[in-house]
Amino acid sequence: MPGAPVEVLKRVPLFEDLNKREVGQVARLFKERRFADGETVAKEGAGGAAFFLIDSGEATVTLGGKPRAKLKQGDYFGEIALIDGGARSATVTASSELVCWGLTYWDFRPLVQGNPTICWKLLQVMAKRLRDAEQAP
Amino acid sequence: MREVVPLEKARDDSVFGSKAVGLGEAARGGLPLPPGVALSGAIVEAVASGEGKAIKKVAKSVRPLPTPLAVRSSAVDEDGAEASFAGQHLTLLNVLTPDDVTGALREIWWSANSDSAITYRQRVGLFQRPSVGVVIQSLLDPEIAGVMFTQNPINGADERMIEASWGLGEVVVAARVIPDNYRLDRSGEVLERTPGVKKIVIRTLPDGGTVEEEVAPELVEQPCLNDEQLEKLNRLASRCEQVYGPGRDIEWAIAGGELYLLQCRAVTRAGT
Repeated sequence: MPGAPVEVLKRVPLFEDLNKREVGQVARLFKERRFADGETVAKEGAGGAAFFLIDSGEATVTLGGKPRAKLKQGDYFGEIALIDGGARSATVTASSELVCWGLTYWDFRPLVQGNPTICWKLLQVMAKRLRDAEQAP
Repeated sequence: MREVVPLEKARDDSVFGSKAVGLGEAARGGLPLPPGVALSGAIVEAVASGEGKAIKKVAKSVRPLPTPLAVRSSAVDEDGAEASFAGQHLTLLNVLTPDDVTGALREIWWSANSDSAITYRQRVGLFQRPSVGVVIQSLLDPEIAGVMFTQNPINGADERMIEASWGLGEVVVAARVIPDNYRLDRSGEVLERTPGVKKIVIRTLPDGGTVEEEVAPELVEQPCLNDEQLEKLNRLASRCEQVYGPGRDIEWAIAGGELYLLQCRAVTRAGT
């Protein structure tokens, strides 16, 4: 079946409460995208076009040029820019051969608008991030 | 429509994109093109989505083409925005086998859905989903290539302006060299011949992709084109004007001694 592997999607908090059929629907919207080691996946300040889920490989997150986090298989990023149409909040760079599953703005928006379960989950993720940001020194 | 057609059957801009349709017109007009096929935006999307049926259909259609291949995006024109997308949508040269085409199509699909492409679309008020058709042609290994205007693009004078360099024409298109410049009148008489400084040549690699190499010192300032080749280019300019109308911007290549048309667009006058 084309699209992202269902078992990988099920591990993403955003989609973990969906039933099997719903996960299958979401999975079909994803397209594979490969990045070479060192390639920029998302650039801080630039507009965001897609939400990405890492299938294999690793990536580094930097903010203002400073390393902030490592991303690996099952991690995802890019949903904030897709929601508000704003700029990417961090830079993500492939630190090995990186294979991602990407969901574009054009598919992500109707998906969230048409699925209250995903919409609620997204709100929870956003709320957690807001709290984390408020508690950060 | 999930279609793959020979270039001469690419007629609909909204399905195949304007580059494919332009080449379709050339093929129907009998202009000398490298063999190729046009893919609709829908089948490119299906291949990028990993749909097996679409992948097999494209591979089957591409198999008869001599390899290696050039895989070029042919963005579906949206309110004249095609020219502006030119730099954002991808061209992949030297794709070695029909099976490698799947990965190339995926990359091209993502180039139309990249951060910069989407940001640009939002800025110019294009909120519909991008559709990117693709042209797949046999990649020539040219001795010489370049561009030609069938009218002077700066002052509109009725003369041919030709730029030429060694190897693949990307060195001229991307301004990587100072190309030879030739000016011909409509009868083909050479009005001006200015050798360039062509220090770099781009060639295909046996394992795929391309490489920049240094040009042999004796060839750097040696003119690429002789009178016979200039005459052939002049005839190509006339044929292109017969097919498309006056004022054309042409990409061409000479491979195995034969002259080929790679692309033909309307001239954009400087300052307009």
